[in-house]
Amino acid sequence: MSSPIHSPQGNWWIAGVSVLEKTWIRISVVWCLLLFASMIVWASYGKQNQAGPTYRASTTEFMQKVQAFKKAGIQTEDGIIPADEHIYVAAARFSFDGFPVVLQAGKQYQVHMSSYDVQHGLSVRPEHALSKQMSLQLLPGYEWVLPMKFDEPGVYHVVCNEFCGVGHRTMHGSFIVRR
Amino acid sequence: MIKELFTNDYGPDGFRTCSVTGMRIDRTAENFVKVFGLTAVVALVVGGISAILVVLTRWEVVGLLGPADFYNWLSVHAWNLLIFWMVFMEVAILYVGGPMVLGRKLPAPKLAMVGYVLMLGAAIGINWALMTTSAPDHAPVLTSYAPLPSSEWFYLGAIVFILGTVIAALPFFAAIWQEKVENPNRSLPLVAFGAFITAIIAVEALLGGLITYIPTYMWRIGLLEHIDAAWYRQMYWIVGHGSQQINLAAMITVWYFLTHVVGGAEVVSEKVSRSAFILYLFFINMGAAHHLMADPALAASWKVWNTSYAAYGAVLASMIHAFAIPAGLEAGRRKRGAGKSLFGWLWSSPWSNPVFSAVIFSIILFGFMGGITGVLMGQMQLNLAWHNTWATVGHFHATVVLGTTMTFMGLVFFVIQTMFRKELIMAPLAKIQPWFYSGFMALTTLMMMYLGILYGIPRRHASVMNIPGTDFNFAAAEPLFVVFGIAALLAIAGGILFALISVGSLLFGNRLDPSTVFRPTHSWQGDGSPVHLQSMRGTFAFTLIFLAVFVIAYVLNWYLLSRLWEIG
Repeated sequence: MSSPIHSPQGNWWIAGVSVLEKTWIRISVVWCLLLFASMIVWASYGKQNQAGPTYRASTTEFMQKVQAFKKAGIQTEDGIIPADEHIYVAAARFSFDGFPVVLQAGKQYQVHMSSYDVQHGLSVRPEHALSKQMSLQLLPGYEWVLPMKFDEPGVYHVVCNEFCGVGHRTMHGSFIVRR
Repeated sequence: MIKELFTNDYGPDGFRTCSVTGMRIDRTAENFVKVFGLTAVVALVVGGISAILVVLTRWEVVGLLGPADFYNWLSVHAWNLLIFWMVFMEVAILYVGGPMVLGRKLPAPKLAMVGYVLMLGAAIGINWALMTTSAPDHAPVLTSYAPLPSSEWFYLGAIVFILGTVIAALPFFAAIWQEKVENPNRSLPLVAFGAFITAIIAVEALLGGLITYIPTYMWRIGLLEHIDAAWYRQMYWIVGHGSQQINLAAMITVWYFLTHVVGGAEVVSEKVSRSAFILYLFFINMGAAHHLMADPALAASWKVWNTSYAAYGAVLASMIHAFAIPAGLEAGRRKRGAGKSLFGWLWSSPWSNPVFSAVIFSIILFGFMGGITGVLMGQMQLNLAWHNTWATVGHFHATVVLGTTMTFMGLVFFVIQTMFRKELIMAPLAKIQPWFYSGFMALTTLMMMYLGILYGIPRRHASVMNIPGTDFNFAAAEPLFVVFGIAALLAIAGGILFALISVGSLLFGNRLDPSTVFRPTHSWQGDGSPVHLQSMRGTFAFTLIFLAVFVIAYVLNWYLLSRLWEIG
């Protein structure tokens, strides 16, 4: 009897392996390679890749950038229409700075993101389809720039989904995407 | 009565022979297994009580606690169930997998005692710090992400707990060392080998914990001026995920042990199973990088590399165990003529024994729910849709509750009967406990996953039905929250049942000869043929079903992601 609580007898390394077990290991290896390949393929051809440069930016520096962004943009009742393709948004306990922003559907924007104090989340979904959602991590001291292009008009709600204190649940912002 | 719990029929050399496993058991090792195991159950009870508060808050029809209390109790829930319940059990498992399986004395019992006292003191201190957290400190939840400050006693407690665990693991390493010195040419039994790999992974994770918590503590008490959030995240996850990888490796070791002792499983290939453990050793800790997929400051190539070669080395290992363990059961039982058809070996298994059913449900639910979702969220791009949603919480409830907790519950039932030698009280309820608990916990977990992925419900929120200052809310998800709330409360009822049976059996159970419940393993007679030549077609069919579910879930997740706007 081959027991897991007794030392195996003889040279167990050369003992036979079931054909089905070998087959399963081969299938598993191929599957793991496919898992790997799909990330590479999506990075090249897919449209959702959280890849973009990160810069060091102190809270003061990033605050200034957000203020400059707000000043340069057009203030409307719905929010800020950015002056160019650069958007600056920041999270702080317990609100977002820079939101709401009014964007043009189909236009690519460079979204600059950071935090003024602790770790936060930037979790986005359109009002009309909660299942179309994604989340990013925002860290103080780091300015992350990700290109984004919203094709569908609508209100995209932003909540914080990294615990940042007792007021965490009250944080809200929005991208308002228009034709 | 307490003294009775620690008595057994030891010979003059301090050893006794287990009537079920035939193992030579040292009195000191057994007593420490009992002490660590009992402490783990206390942590399970504390964590279970906090689960009631957490569930009744997140199910906003009740909305029990305000945010401040909710986060404190969520922290208590996390630390007791993810850390204390697990780690106390795992030290017990090391003492079973080392000294007991090898038939040796527990070396350096004083170190075991020092480790235990430090761990216990730290666990009490951390619980106290968590329950009394108030401004300007914040609840740490599990992660204590700097620079959000938590109680300084919390960080100090974490450091002491880690040190205590390392010290408690030393007697295990000493036992392995002594064994190899005395028997250099004898391979360790597979269970001892699995425990050894678990212990190495544990030490790696625990060192990561010291690297994380010592500077964080110094920052918290003002000795360091600044702590970098990205640095913290990268260091923290060495222990944050590493501790869960200890759970995984310990659980799989217990799967090999209990399927053998209770179900008659054999090892179908020592080479394959040991190689899979070696894969864990090299790759599993780096797989922790999947926590950083939605982070700034890390290049896409770094993310893809670490979730490919590293994580998939570990995924491959898990897929190997996913075949090897049920195949061991199938081949072992077929060899003894139990069940001729495709799944006859499984249906004829001892399902009315809660130790067996707990382990089998754990294997199935861990694989189908925890394993698959872990791989999905570990893909760089798919992580966009999973990161910090409630689906993530669903994933780790599938791994740590449906997987490890279920397995450890089965192990506790086993230890009560074989080491404490107490009959389980409320036998009919004990039989259904694993069915009841795993069934409702699986439904709870599934709801968390649906709510997270399909509705984007964030984790760590005291309420999502009403977000102050905006009309936006997640009320569309309310029907699924009802299913979640009811299923979670029923699962907790299953947990309470476990605690009542365990504690009740220890206090009021009749003295038991365990060989009347578990068939002694030495009595198993096979036809003597090599185990790898037995049919494993039932297991192969199961793993193909598993792969099909995996592929479907995988394709669906990519489809959901492809519907998003352009990012990056």
